[in-house]
Amino acid sequence: MKFQRRTLLRGMFQGSTAMMAVPFLDCFLDSKGQALAATGQRIPTRFSTFFFGLGLTTSLWVPKKAGLDYDTTIQLKPLEPFKKKMNVFSGMRVMVDDNPNYQHWSGNAAIATGIAPTKNSQFDSKTIDQTIADVISRGTRYKTVQAAASGDPKHCYSSLGGANTLPAEPTPLSLYTRLFGPGFQDPSSGDWKPDPQVMLQQSVLSTVTDERKDFMKDLGPGDRARMDQYFTSVREAELQMAAELQRPDVVAKVTIPGAPGEMPVNYALPNVRTVTPLMAKLGALAMATDQTRVFNLAISEPGSNIFVPGDPLGYHITTHMEAIDLTLGYQPKVAEYNIYSMELLASVLKEMDAIPEGDGTLLDHSLLMAYSDQSYAKIHAVDGIPIMLAGNASGRMKTGYHIAGGGNPVSRVGLTVQKAMGISIDGWGKGSMETKAAYTELLA
Amino acid sequence: MRNKVLLAVAWFLISTTCGAVPVLAATSDPMTGLRRLSEQEYRNSIADIFGKDIAVQGMFEPQIRMNGLIATSTSVLSVTPAGFESFSKMADGIAIQVTDEKHRGKLVSCTPKSAKAPDDACAAEFFGRYGLMLFRRPLTAGELKMRVTLARDMTKSSGDFYAGLRYGLAQLLQSPNFLFRKERAIPAGGKALTLEPYSRASRLSYLMWATTPDSELLRAAQTGELATAAGLDKQVERLLASPRLEAGMRAFFTDMLELDTFDTVSKDALIYPKWGGAMPSSAKEETLRTVINLTLRENGDLRDMMTTRKTFINRSMAALYDVDFTFDNDWMPYEFAKDSGRSGIVTQVSMLSMFSHPGQSSPTKRGVALMDIFLCEPTPTPPANVDFSAINDTTGPLKTVRERLMAHATTPTCASCHNHSDPIGLSLEGFDTIGGRRLTENGQSIDLSATLQGKKFQDGTGLGQYLHDNPKFPACVAKKLYAYAKGMDTDDVEPSVTKAAYKAFSDSGFRLRTLIRGLVESPEFFNAQASTVEASAGQTKVAASP
Repeated sequence: MKFQRRTLLRGMFQGSTAMMAVPFLDCFLDSKGQALAATGQRIPTRFSTFFFGLGLTTSLWVPKKAGLDYDTTIQLKPLEPFKKKMNVFSGMRVMVDDNPNYQHWSGNAAIATGIAPTKNSQFDSKTIDQTIADVISRGTRYKTVQAAASGDPKHCYSSLGGANTLPAEPTPLSLYTRLFGPGFQDPSSGDWKPDPQVMLQQSVLSTVTDERKDFMKDLGPGDRARMDQYFTSVREAELQMAAELQRPDVVAKVTIPGAPGEMPVNYALPNVRTVTPLMAKLGALAMATDQTRVFNLAISEPGSNIFVPGDPLGYHITTHMEAIDLTLGYQPKVAEYNIYSMELLASVLKEMDAIPEGDGTLLDHSLLMAYSDQSYAKIHAVDGIPIMLAGNASGRMKTGYHIAGGGNPVSRVGLTVQKAMGISIDGWGKGSMETKAAYTELLA
Repeated sequence: MRNKVLLAVAWFLISTTCGAVPVLAATSDPMTGLRRLSEQEYRNSIADIFGKDIAVQGMFEPQIRMNGLIATSTSVLSVTPAGFESFSKMADGIAIQVTDEKHRGKLVSCTPKSAKAPDDACAAEFFGRYGLMLFRRPLTAGELKMRVTLARDMTKSSGDFYAGLRYGLAQLLQSPNFLFRKERAIPAGGKALTLEPYSRASRLSYLMWATTPDSELLRAAQTGELATAAGLDKQVERLLASPRLEAGMRAFFTDMLELDTFDTVSKDALIYPKWGGAMPSSAKEETLRTVINLTLRENGDLRDMMTTRKTFINRSMAALYDVDFTFDNDWMPYEFAKDSGRSGIVTQVSMLSMFSHPGQSSPTKRGVALMDIFLCEPTPTPPANVDFSAINDTTGPLKTVRERLMAHATTPTCASCHNHSDPIGLSLEGFDTIGGRRLTENGQSIDLSATLQGKKFQDGTGLGQYLHDNPKFPACVAKKLYAYAKGMDTDDVEPSVTKAAYKAFSDSGFRLRTLIRGLVESPEFFNAQASTVEASAGQTKVAASP
């Protein structure tokens, strides 16, 4: 049976409930990345990103031993509780070919797209989370959700391509309101029912979509691409409404807390430390209740302006201005800032691992990609940018490994991620980073 | 003359069966520009069309600055899924208010035959009226019919005429024709193209008043008056004479002076406990008040924004500047003492604190920003592998930022850029990262001398005078205003297109109204090339970091 919105509409206000018995949309049942737990409960596999600026200190984070049971280094120490549930990638290369190395941009853009950016602050294609969401997020309320832990909605490295990035929720309260405010219904609740308003709004949206042909007809190629994004956004809003009319096919063992209060959200480290796990928890709950299957969290922009109160320079400027301690062989203050990033990542994994699902946790039914913009921020180096993958993607990814990249392109990680998420592609990336070589040894 | 005839033909109005609503004949003029409405433009448009008591609630997509201007990015950006979701909710929120019992008497001009049944004539009147204001041109017959049909369907299923209007209006507010300003051109002889009258009305209105064209401008577009020199001049004079010009120029100066940066500036409360609360928004407001007062209310010499000691302060700015606040209202005019070291907006808290580190001033950041903002001279990005560590070593013999910066800047690869931008910043070292005055740093008195492009000067006052006397400054304002109006990259503004307007500006003693008039009445202002705008605006320039 095809879902006929306009005909169903008529019945809405007459109190008819016949339309409530609409079967699940085909696309909802078709969603990939779903596992069936021992309980018979359907558990989707989720994807997350965690972005941290300014990399780590190579001599302090890269394990000496590759493979399983690698040595825990000083800077990986905060992640030790999750060592068995994650993989770390060192020595991966970003090859910019004939393009400039845009400082605090080329590295993260290459990891997110497999392509060295040709323009500063722009992506040359859709980012990996969006590609994955195209496949796994069908039927969820939000295709992807973004949050920025230092309070700037621009701190988001998810994009449909070009200069636009998806705006991030800049506070825990705004994130909460988007996820669990008006329009949210707990799928586990007994009195779940579709909201008749949603159907009316769908009719309005379909007329906006109808404007496409007229609006596009006299546009040049650049504007056409922009309006393609606009109409894609309209389409996503329609899909979101379709999803809101269906009870999510999951049983979440979670309680949605009350709304968080107003709080300072800015670059001061103590605030970032409060906000990051709070946002991670809300994101994890959103995934557990199938409001979304893709959650992107950034703790700052690439040239991170996070600062420890009392430090007049802050993180970014310190990476450039702090001298290398000749005895230690590295920048000591920068090394401390690096560890804060790893502690924040650990706080995110902790929230995901705290939600029980089937015979494991939300983290076990996820794949989280953590990455940065530089390997050695002092000189804007991009070779050896740290990348971590956490969670085993519902059993599709083997974990506990240190992969010593040996100069292989970063796109190999992105390709491996997509394969683990069930995306059917052979290769990924462009130019010298084009690759067909996933880390098959990690794929179960 | 031929062009005027063409205009009249292309934009004649036809009547339809929908009632006495003017609608536009569908045309296929070359499209030349497509600009996303900014948050301010959206809010102002809604307030002007429906009244200030209609609340606009929701988050707007963040704006990005490209080569110095946010306006440039409006020709490049689209709407993301999260952004559209928000626009969609905002649209419904506005439509609910406009059609509710409290507002419908005033905002719905016709009364339906029955409040419970469709009334196509009344709906057409409603959508025709608001469609014209929201799309900044009359709807085509097809566009009008689509909304009337939607409203009819919605009324039928809800049994409520006003619910039909609500959904139809929400539809108009989510349409790309509202969220984007589509600029259309028509042939102007040979290969030349020029904006058709409604696009002209929009460009003038969003530049000068930062809002949607009012009924008088739309009327002048409809009659074709805006395509004639006399008609254009009449409208430009009207817009210039209105107090609403302040809103337009506030929007321009907020963009040009990068005052939006304040929304995300963090200062270290441990080092500067004074900072916080209303201080960032107050500092921004101080600068806008200073500039608007000088250029519009007093009709003064625009260059004086670099030298004036006149400003406006509120309680929190008074605390920062260490002056008494004795006034009943929120803001009071204030004039700094001669020996205060303050000189124009470059020595105001806004400009000093925006371009600094959380807990330390940065001559380089200040220099790079001010060179770009006021002289249109961007500084190249530093090489990727520069060693900046000498700048930060306070344990060595070099105590002040100046000494350490000089040591670093003697490296040949660094020298050319630092010589370009540092002098401006060094002359401002008499102000700390939140704009407070200081005379020493780490126990040593601060040298505030600078030499820039062959001119020697001393401290913020000297810098103000240097910028005031530098012809590149007013020329840069002219160039940025032109780029802002057209949504183009500042670098793509050819000197020839602002030349006549600049001369008039200069001859008038640098009166802002003269500059605006000169730019919008120049032959180039409405000239267009088909769909090339986005090709040049794609490259973001990032200034040097530390």
